Amino acid sequence: MTYWAVNAVFLSIVAVLGVLALVTAGVRGRAARASSSPAERSRRRREQLLGAGLATGVLLVMTAVFDNVMIGIGLVGYDAARISGVFVGIAPLEDFAYAVAALVLLPSVWVLLGGPKTPRAPAAPAAGGSTTVEEARS
Amino acid sequence: MGFVYLAALLVSLFGMVMLDRRFRLFFWRDVPRAAVTLLVGVVFFLVWDVVGIDLGIFFRGETSFMTGVLVATELPLEEVFFLTLLCYLTMNLLAAARMAAAVVLDRRDASSTQAGRSVDGVAS
Repeated sequence: MTYWAVNAVFLSIVAVLGVLALVTAGVRGRAARASSSPAERSRRRREQLLGAGLATGVLLVMTAVFDNVMIGIGLVGYDAARISGVFVGIAPLEDFAYAVAALVLLPSVWVLLGGPKTPRAPAAPAAGGSTTVEEARS
Repeated sequence: MGFVYLAALLVSLFGMVMLDRRFRLFFWRDVPRAAVTLLVGVVFFLVWDVVGIDLGIFFRGETSFMTGVLVATELPLEEVFFLTLLCYLTMNLLAAARMAAAVVLDRRDASSTQAGRSVDGVAS
């Protein structure tokens, strides 16, 4: 079995959880969406997309940098026969599956663990803008 | 020298905790929910690692940077901390990026409103 074959199995599990989380968030957010204006909804969507894109970019770059360092100093080795041979520096491309999986799996588990959305009184606006983030992401 | 990698991971994890506390990113939003999320993530990636090791895809490197303590065949103690760091970083990063996105969009909206006003000013 190749590295990509193993990744395919685990990424499939992550994808299923991701879809489940999206559906769950969609069902839970229905009431909130009904009471918000189209402008608010569009703003929220842009915020979600920009945030996710930003985090993805940063984590993939960090993976490229640190994976290269970790392989470079000899923390981990690979069987050349089981990897595709596509590298980012000296890091097998397959390693990036961990970062991609983390970006989908963890927020999905977080969403699935959250109870049904109960209307909360807006918290005191502490620490610049964190309340919007908390409410939007919980 | 065997503690270099473990120490680096612990320092990084400490940084994650400090950032989490300062900006309320993960555990400081909901402790039990964050704890379960982190645990699920770490266990999931450990299983992935063990499968990869069993199939001989990757293996522990011979290096003096690690303690040599193994939690399973070819699975160094350090890997548990690395995966914890990966999961903690991911959740901190997602929350922080969302905050940054809010700031960027606020600024953009504010500047476009201003631009709109000055255009009105010229027109009138």
